[in-house]
Amino acid sequence: MKNWSFRQRLWFYRALTLGATAVIAHMALVWALPRLIMHQVMAGQAAQEMNMLNQAAFPPPVDASSRRVVMPSPDMLYSVCVFDVSQGPVRVTAHPGLSSYWSIALYGANSDNFFVINDRAVGKAAIDLWLVSKGPNAADPTVPVGAQVVVTPSEKGFLLMRVLTGDYEAEKSVLEPARRTLVCHKV
Amino acid sequence: MTKHTRYSRVQRLAIGASLYLGALALGMGSAWWVLRKATWSGTLVKVGAWSGSTLTGSPDADMYTRARVALEGLLALGRNETMYYRADTDDSGRPLRSRCSYRVEGAPPSARWWSITAYADDFFLFDAPNKQYSLNGTTAQLDAVGHFALSTGPTPQPGLHWLPTPGDRGLVLTLRLYNPTADLQAAPSKLKPPSISPLGACP
Repeated sequence: MKNWSFRQRLWFYRALTLGATAVIAHMALVWALPRLIMHQVMAGQAAQEMNMLNQAAFPPPVDASSRRVVMPSPDMLYSVCVFDVSQGPVRVTAHPGLSSYWSIALYGANSDNFFVINDRAVGKAAIDLWLVSKGPNAADPTVPVGAQVVVTPSEKGFLLMRVLTGDYEAEKSVLEPARRTLVCHKV
Repeated sequence: MTKHTRYSRVQRLAIGASLYLGALALGMGSAWWVLRKATWSGTLVKVGAWSGSTLTGSPDADMYTRARVALEGLLALGRNETMYYRADTDDSGRPLRSRCSYRVEGAPPSARWWSITAYADDFFLFDAPNKQYSLNGTTAQLDAVGHFALSTGPTPQPGLHWLPTPGDRGLVLTLRLYNPTADLQAAPSKLKPPSISPLGACP
């Protein structure tokens, strides 16, 4: 390198810089993609229209017009809520009372599914979850006895309740009230 | 001399800017290619025409798996809750097309409940005229040997549950297993994969 000409050194450093730029751009996109998509789900136009921040919302049954999240399952009824624990705990209650499959899953801002509870774990009892952020409110003294505290990995995240429907038309009189027992609110 | 130096500097800047943009495009393009096209991954399990990731929906997912799931199956559950397998080819390895008809047949998987759903290659549902998007553990009728069967394609097939796939584009089948058995969770490759075979000629 000592004997390289100015032009050779210029191209060497250019190649080095370009290689590093390409690697950084590659990694940044892979890292950012799930976070950007989750941000769109939690704060995009659809989320705002449904007013789901710390509040449960109940999208219509899935069909071909459901194009907000990829791979929608036509066999599930969904209830949703965007939680934000930055200002204090968010309480989630539900009492579907169904013997068929249902679950409540929590997703972090990076799209990881960090918590799930289903009918097998709960039976026909009600659930009472207190979502808290890491830090001071993780040990909130107002959490009632019997409630389950869930520490969220990010201040903002997404709650998705799934209620199985193998045959919606035949089951909707039971399933619709069940999924609408979901309540999500800031304490 | 001054004119020459100025020209060289402008030229160098233009080359540098072009190469820099090229590097950005290369980095982002390669990321996109890896996420959408690359079929290799240490966490992918291939069973017949079906494949699934052992880390889908898991906090242990690497950043590539996480990004791929965000693109192709956002808000998935972990495999102790739900397992996902996907097929975009038939059993012979030919890409599935919506204008062709296929027969999908198999034994109910080892899970509390299951479903097979037909998606277009943008991972959304087809505009099915009969509103039938899936066959599942509730609606499937089993034959004498305990197998279910369905057809996908532009027209119904006699005696088969029909999932319409109008248009001419890629077809993706997704098999979901809710509360799969512990054996299957431990070894996703033990799935007895439903067969996918073409029905008739497809030009």
